[in-house]
Parts: sequence; structure tokens; C-alpha cells
Amino acid sequence: MSTYLTQVRAILWKDLLIELRTRERVLAMGAFAVLSAVLFDYSIDRALVAPQDVAAGLIWMTIVFGGLLGVGRTFHLEGEDGAFRGLLMSPTPKDAVFLAKTLANFTLLYVVSLLVLGVFMLFFDLELGTSPATLVLALALGSLGFVALGTLFAAVSSGTRLGETLLPILVFPLLVPMIVYGAGATARLLADRPVAEVAGHLRMLGAFALVAVAAGSVLFRFVVED
Amino acid sequence: MEAGPAGPAARAAQRDAGPVLEARGLVREYGPVLAVDGIDVVLGEGEFLAVFGPNGAGKSSLLAMLGGALRPTRGSVRVRGTLLDAGDDGWRHRIGALSHQGFLYLQLTAEENLRFYGRLFGLRDLDERIPARLERVGLAARARTRVRELSHGMRQRLALARALLHDPDLVLLDEPYTGLDPSASAVLRDVLTELRDGRRTVVMVTHDLGSGLELATRVAIQVDGRFGWTGEASALSRAGFERFYHEVVEGRVGAEGSGAGGPEVPS
Amino acid sequence: MQVKGMRRAGAALAVLGLLGLMLVYWMSFFWVSTEATQGIVQRIFYVHVPAAWTSFLAFGLCALTSGMYLWLRDERLDRAALSAAEGGMVFATIMLTTGPLWGKIAWGTYWTWEPRLTLTLLLWFIFLGYFMVRGSTEDPGKGKRFAAVVAIVGALEIPFIHLSVIWFRSLHPQPVVVRPEGPTLPGDMFTTLMTSLGSFTVLFVGLFLLRYALEGLRSELDARARRAAA
Repeated sequence: MSTYLTQVRAILWKDLLIELRTRERVLAMGAFAVLSAVLFDYSIDRALVAPQDVAAGLIWMTIVFGGLLGVGRTFHLEGEDGAFRGLLMSPTPKDAVFLAKTLANFTLLYVVSLLVLGVFMLFFDLELGTSPATLVLALALGSLGFVALGTLFAAVSSGTRLGETLLPILVFPLLVPMIVYGAGATARLLADRPVAEVAGHLRMLGAFALVAVAAGSVLFRFVVED
Repeated sequence: MEAGPAGPAARAAQRDAGPVLEARGLVREYGPVLAVDGIDVVLGEGEFLAVFGPNGAGKSSLLAMLGGALRPTRGSVRVRGTLLDAGDDGWRHRIGALSHQGFLYLQLTAEENLRFYGRLFGLRDLDERIPARLERVGLAARARTRVRELSHGMRQRLALARALLHDPDLVLLDEPYTGLDPSASAVLRDVLTELRDGRRTVVMVTHDLGSGLELATRVAIQVDGRFGWTGEASALSRAGFERFYHEVVEGRVGAEGSGAGGPEVPS
Repeated sequence: MQVKGMRRAGAALAVLGLLGLMLVYWMSFFWVSTEATQGIVQRIFYVHVPAAWTSFLAFGLCALTSGMYLWLRDERLDRAALSAAEGGMVFATIMLTTGPLWGKIAWGTYWTWEPRLTLTLLLWFIFLGYFMVRGSTEDPGKGKRFAAVVAIVGALEIPFIHLSVIWFRSLHPQPVVVRPEGPTLPGDMFTTLMTSLGSFTVLFVGLFLLRYALEGLRSELDARARRAAA
């Protein structure tokens, strides 16, 4: 068991270290987040629609698009010197590899999602609403499910001729629950509704994340083996 | 097609320990393409098999199957009696692999790369082991250098250190000499000689007939997914072998022979 | 099961299914009563709903055989998954084309975010992903495994998608009738629906068997070509 944790930690740390040194994904995702907020702002005619009304949905969509950017590249950093082959030939169980990569992606995406929230609050003049803690929790649960599915299918799409362009097609249909419950909860919290109203949303987001992580752990080995 | 009868000392070792590597009936299909068409490899401790052959003969696929990196379409591979199976990864401790790719992370330093692999393999004494291994391949001064700043020769030396970090029983090398400068080549030859003398088991695919013959105890020539010829290395001379190699590859020689049958030994 | 036997069984079932469909068409045009609110166009319901049901049945079969394929590695299971996926996509397409037609005539809009319609649309895209992934790998074996993973994850997520789409719909009342078949389902409508359901299922099974047999023949052909080349 401790070997398992050591292995997961080693891979997680390696991915984060590489990201810290290259900063390529976090910069791309961060820039995307801010620029999207700007574009969205200009796309809303304030005479017809109040920005606050649509903010929640736009926040989640920005997280999704930005997330795809980052997650799609998960296996690129492994590809340069065939490093992934070396990883697969080590005694690390494949589900450990999946968990580590998912956690690394989650860390990356969660940070970006908080940035997105902050930028939208700034540009769209939003209040934090009933419970910032619950809001942050909703973002976390949604991001986790998204990242689990994204990591699994990023492995699939990197193995095809189409590469990352295939990723949205595979992932988007499955994200409907995340958007429905995530944006729904966010909208309510931002509109000062009581936390009890979003308890169901959070439960569904949690279940969604659980299923996504479990499915990914079990199925990852079939995707990466030869 | 067995890979030739072993010499007396090796045979004795085999009787005691059982083969280190036992691969039977390996076949690999990629959809309609047949890359490997029925190959057996049985090796004991201290044996060094050099596999020669033209491009497209399926050598890399064979090596990948021997290392458990590729699932055979048919056939089985056992390392020290354990079947290479996706189920339990324990046997992976016994295998070390090196290819023309180094399996290295370019953004990390030499030392960080080794530390990463060391942790994956559950090694405890990394603080002592890593400096020693870097020293062995002449990279002690570069421990803190990022791999992307190392030359190809240095990367290969690091990759060699990585492949051997966990002291595997079976070492698989896929064209390790490609693109190496003389000092890196020398280090490689040193380390490989040490492996063979230390009774480790090695399978090396290479285009470099000279180095291959020098290091090997057994030789195989792979053509079109099969071993066209296998035999003892000690009986071969460099010059004679080169001619013989071309003949086998062009199909003029090489019925499914094994054992002592082979090229004339002129001197 | 022998290929020839399977093709005969498949053809027989397909013909049976088509005959059943002809019966259903007769029933829905001439026999069953007209629904009060929507009029004649409501009769599309007898094709629209069973098509959806069959596409989900097909997907379930695809996901199940995909899971078994990953576990047992038997090529026949993969062929079954492929055949089920093709059938499923066809029936989903039927559902998605009859839906908007119905919608336009009955309620004035081509698309409503009716949960079943939305779910089937998403299912259609999961099928699309299945086929795209299958065909876009260098090594065909990899493509089959990837597709199996897509099918399995899709099946695991469908309940969530279903729940979320229904829940979302419940908050946003649409200007259309929530139950397209009308407020209640009298006896003759029920009979027609069930007959249609049965016919569609039989038709699907027949087409599935035919496709499965065809795929078996194709892989046999590939194997022979490989042996001849060696």
C-alpha cells in the first residue's frame, strides 16, 4: 500500500514539477480564462440581458473549454522522449498512473477555475453570494469529474490520428450532468439562495465525480497497454 | 526454433536455476500485418543474445514482447518462471529496457529522472545508489543538469543508468549504439561487458555487427518475423559473419537451422 | 453458432420485423384512434418512441459486449459490440428525424428540449465517438479497445445524463405537452405501441445477427489473406 502511495506521489510530483518548470499549460489555460471572460462580456448586450443572469453558465463553459486545453496535453509531456513507455514498464499499477495524472490535472484545473470565478466576478460585477465555501466545493467536485473523464479520454485521443480534436466529441456528451448541476448550483449560490437548495446538486456532482474516477481507474489500463 | 544448444557451463547453470527468459511461439499481428511469426527464445543466466536483422524484420516488436511492453497475439513469455501478464506487475522489477528513445523527462535533471524511476521501483537507498550509478556512466558532474541540455550520448548514458537502476535480471536493449559518440559507446560497451560477466541476461538488437559479436554469447538473425539463423557467438569471426549475414537476409541461406551450422570460420 | 445458420436466422427475424412494422403502419394509420389534442400527426409516436427504445437497447448490448471483450479478449464479442452499435445508431437517427418532424407539425417548433429527445441526441454522439475512435488508430486492435472504453463509460454516464436532463426540464416548463402521447394512453394506443415495440426489437435483432455474421466473414477473409501473404 505504501509503495502504491509512493508511486502515485512520485508521478503527481513529477507532473507538477514539470508544469512548474515549463508553465505552458497553466499560462495557456489562464490566458484563455481571462480572454474568454472579456469576449463573453462583449457578447452580452446589457440592454437586453443582465450579465448576472448568465454568469454561472458562462463560468462553467469557460472552465470546460479551458480545461480541455490543459487536459488534452496531459500525455504530451510524456511523449517527447518516449518517457511514457518507461513509466508503463515500471511496476506501477496502471490505476495508480491514472489517479496521479488525474490529481495533477485536477490541481491545475482547480486553480484555473478559481481564477475564472474571480475574473468573472470582477468583469460581471458579481457578489460572492450565500456561501463562498459551498461555491468553491461545487467547483471542486465538478472539476474532479471533468478531469477524470478528460484524462481517460486524453489517453484515448492521443492514441489516434485525430489527437486532441477528438477530445471534445468524446467528452462533451458526458459533461451534461456536470454542467446542469454545477452551473445550477453556482447560479443559485450567486443569487443568494440558501445552501440547502443546492445540497442535491452537490450530491450529484459528487456521485458523478466518483463514477468518473472509478471508471477511469479501471479502464485506463486497457487504453494504455499495447 | 530453439536458440541453439548452450555451452557446458551455461547448461549447468540452467539446470540449477531454470531459464531466466523463456519465450515460446511468439506471434504479433498488427491487424493484417504479421510482424513476428513464431519465435522462441530461451536464455539462462549470463547469456547475451545479439539479434541482427534488416529494418522491418520485427526485431523491435520481439523485444517489446520480451519486455512485457507489448502483448503477443499468440505465445507466452516467462521471466524466471513468472508469466508476463497484465495482472500482477511484480515481474516488472526483473526487467530493464533501453531503446533509441531514452524514456527520460527532458524538463527534469539527471538526478531527478533517476529519483523518479527509483521511487516507482520502490528502491530505498536512492541517496547512495543514484550518485554511484551516475558515476558509473560518467555523468556525476551532470547530476543537476536538465536532460534537455545534455547531448545525445550523455542522454543515452543516463538512460542506461536508468534501465539498470533496479538491478534487473533481464536487460533488453533496442539499438543502443545508434548515434553514440565514441566516449558514450565506450561506456556502453564497458557496462554491457560487466553485465555479461556478472551473469545478468541480456538481449540486444543492433545493427552494429562488430559490437554485437564482441559482447554476445549467442547470435540470431531475424528476417521477416522469424529467426533465419541462430548459433553460438564464440564460433564466429567478424568478417565471415558479415558475409553470412547478408546471405541469410537475402534468403540464400538459412533453412530453420540452429546450433553449430553456420558460416565458415576462416581463421 | 455457424455463420450460415446465423444469416438465415437474422434474415428471418429481419423479415419478421419488417412484416411487424407493416402491421404497425396499418394499425397506426387505419386502426388506432386519433389522439384528441394533436390530431393525426401524433401517430408518428408509434415509430418515434420504439426507435428510441431500440437504440438504447442496442447501446446497452454494445456496452455489455464491450466490457466482456475487454475482459475476455474474444474477437467475437467485439464484433457483437460493433454490430449493436451500428444498429443502435440507425435507430437513434430514426428517432431524431421523426422527433423534429412531429414537433414542427404538432407544436410549431422543430426542437424541444424534451428529455428523451435530448438523451437520444447525446446517445447519438456517443455512438459517433465510438465509430470515430474505432476507425482512427494505426493499430486496429487498439481502435477496438478504445471504442469499448467509450461504450462502457457512455453506459455508466447515461443514468446521470438522464437524471440531469429530466431534472433540468422540470424547472423550465416548456410550451409543449410534457407527455407527447397525450394525457392518458387508452387500450388501442397501448396495443399499437407494444406491437411496434416488439416489431422494432425483432427487426433490430435480425439486423444485428446479419451484421454480426457479415463481420465474422470479413475477419475470416482477413485471416486468410494474411495466411496467403505469409
